[in-house]
Amino acid sequence: MALFGRAALIVALGLLVYAAVAGAVAAIRGRRRLAESARNALVGALGATAVASVVLLGALAAKDFTFTYVAEHTSRELPLGYTLAAFWSGQEGSLLLWLLILLGLGVSAVLLNGRLTRDVLPWVVPILAGVATFFAVLLVFIATPFATQAAPLDGLGLNPSLQNPYMLAHPPLLYLGYVGLTIPFAFAMAALASRRTDERWIVATRRWTLAAWAFLGIAILVGAKWAYEEVGWGGWYAWDPVENAALMPWLVATAYLHSVMVQEKKDMLRVWNAILVAGAFGLSLFGTFLTRSGILSSIHSFTQSSIGPWFLGFITLVIAASTALILWRLPLLRSRTRLESLVSREAAFLYNNLFLVAFALTILWGVLYPIISEAVRGVTVTVGAPYYEFFAIAFGLPIVLLMGLGPLIAWRRASLKALGTSVLWPAAAALVTGAVLLSLGAGSSPAGLIGYTFAAFVLAAIVHEFARGTRARRATGSATWPRAFTSLVGRNRRRYGGYVVHAAIVLLLIGAIGIGGFSSSREASLEPGESVTVAGYTLTFLGSEQRRAANAQELRARLAVERGGKQLGTISPGKNRYFAEEQTSNEVAIRSDPLRGEDLFVIADQFKGRTVFLQVIVNPLVNLIWLAGLVFLAGSLVTLWPDAREQQRLARRFAERDGALVRA
Amino acid sequence: MIEGLALALGAALAVLCVVLVARPFLREPQTPNDRLREPSPAERQRVSLEEERDRALAALKELEFDHRTGKVSDADYREALGPLRRRAADALSRLDGMMRAQMSTPPEEPRVPEPWPPPDEGDLPDPGPTPAPGEPAPGPDLPGPPQHPPMPQTGGPQTL
Repeated sequence: MALFGRAALIVALGLLVYAAVAGAVAAIRGRRRLAESARNALVGALGATAVASVVLLGALAAKDFTFTYVAEHTSRELPLGYTLAAFWSGQEGSLLLWLLILLGLGVSAVLLNGRLTRDVLPWVVPILAGVATFFAVLLVFIATPFATQAAPLDGLGLNPSLQNPYMLAHPPLLYLGYVGLTIPFAFAMAALASRRTDERWIVATRRWTLAAWAFLGIAILVGAKWAYEEVGWGGWYAWDPVENAALMPWLVATAYLHSVMVQEKKDMLRVWNAILVAGAFGLSLFGTFLTRSGILSSIHSFTQSSIGPWFLGFITLVIAASTALILWRLPLLRSRTRLESLVSREAAFLYNNLFLVAFALTILWGVLYPIISEAVRGVTVTVGAPYYEFFAIAFGLPIVLLMGLGPLIAWRRASLKALGTSVLWPAAAALVTGAVLLSLGAGSSPAGLIGYTFAAFVLAAIVHEFARGTRARRATGSATWPRAFTSLVGRNRRRYGGYVVHAAIVLLLIGAIGIGGFSSSREASLEPGESVTVAGYTLTFLGSEQRRAANAQELRARLAVERGGKQLGTISPGKNRYFAEEQTSNEVAIRSDPLRGEDLFVIADQFKGRTVFLQVIVNPLVNLIWLAGLVFLAGSLVTLWPDAREQQRLARRFAERDGALVRA
Repeated sequence: MIEGLALALGAALAVLCVVLVARPFLREPQTPNDRLREPSPAERQRVSLEEERDRALAALKELEFDHRTGKVSDADYREALGPLRRRAADALSRLDGMMRAQMSTPPEEPRVPEPWPPPDEGDLPDPGPTPAPGEPAPGPDLPGPPQHPPMPQTGGPQTL
């Protein structure tokens, strides 16, 4: 059936080329039927890509090793879940997933926004089709998942690092984020091309952008959890180029989500928002390029391939085209209003935008510098964690401070007196927290102490905002406090969902500072009966044991754990030897304490005779990072939840326009 | 055998897609109006005014809420209220004036001369209630929702 899969991809490519060319002609020359035909071609391409995906999934499920892709990424003993996840474990499958998600989201956005942005859509279709054509070309000519061979007796198996439950979810979530950023990009560029630079493209893509941003954020955290458990060095984020590749578009999209509110409320920052949308999309392409090209050495990069130059060419084209379009339409994007005061909500958003973008650019430079150095000077250099950590502190702390200050400042202008009144309680809470932490010895990490003080300020500001808002809502007639609270959130989901997301970022900050500034670590070689003590935990080596799993031989060191005279059970770090893959992986043991938020993290580096060489790490507050993921998800859902009142308002507004359109 | 089946399936998929792509032309082999709707300058202005109106009304609401929650002092509130109300009222009256002017001018050549969707594809949309010309414009200090009469429709909206 590989031939059918290949045929489906060729059909998809043909349809996409048609949609791009016919769609552009229809948009330029104003041909209605041709525009409809191009839209149908986009829908047809989604169908053909879905067929190709089903063919590949079928081959994976059947372990049909006549498919080269299946033979290279699965084996007979690989469990079914990981076998199906091999769909996105290799380059060809990943590209197919990119195309499938892009067309799924693109077609949905086109069909669901038909009424809202009908005069922009003729341009959206060829832009989406143009992006999709690039991936279809790669899949048909460069990296097809439907190459065939004489079936070997067994497959090569799946990289052991990828045999982790978090890897089942991480790539699809990441791609939903990356690909989702195509939607606001396509609508923004279409609005520029069609000269419809009013608010409609923003309204039409608001939820798509939020969803893409939320998926990307969750994907980064799921990937961090995978790295924490599977890569096993005791940290959660290593400033690896591929990790950074996902963080950069997320930071730029975060900046956009804030600055677009300024455009909606004040009609400012139109050019800036167009640049941010194009930048977020360009960075998402760059992220895919970094992950898939193998150009940089990364723990997340599992491929060395020839698609790099194609990607670079396409990224250059996207940057050039969007820059040209923004410059061409610059007169339409001029703001008609100005910043009224440097002490206002919009000014706070502007400052946070500058810090977020500056942070993204410094990360980009850190990622690009080794590539440029090697290309220009022939010298291989590595940009290490200290570089990134310096800028994370330099830009991150002001961003956190602004996260607390922003919600407390009024739109337009705020007098210093009113601001002082608003800031009083959160500032007092922050100072008390800082003083208490200092007295407890947290001064050993000055950046950590400042970070915790700022975190307390933000959390207090959020609580203060919810309390003030609920009180105001109660004063306007809500019968009970709970009703006042739900009414408050329900009437402005974006704002209060945003505050919940801020709380998630603060939790993440607390966890990150805990693991980065206050963790304890010790290495030890133990024979049975010997013990090692780290940060109050005593581990006693009980002995080694071996067992056979479905597709690997497992070697484990059994360790009894005790803290404060209390036995906490046993943990078993070790190694797995995978049969088909002929690779060995470290399997760390983690004992989480939900109440303290800390982890006991043990790596069995080596087994030599009866001796085991251990690295024992105690990571305080690390579980707040994972809790932050759940809170982030909750906040994102609040912001994304449909608001019936707003829907009605928009429906009324556009119904008015429809009448006017026909009459005009 | 399997190869033949795969080819047949591929060909069937291609034919299906061709039919889908050609559908707009098969459905309407000849049509007097094959133009995409182009927004008129008047409509562009209307969109701009509606955005300005919504922005001004939202700013008033926001100011009110910020005042109630203590983010804006009484003095700042009083100072900001006047200009915001004037801005809202100005947007409302300009929008209203524009709609009145449009309603008083009968459409000589409608921009969408044929009904859409075509009659064989479904019923025409409800043309809506008859407009009520001469409805009073909102007062200059009225920050409430605008009350515009619905416009008459000569045909359903053209959709892509």
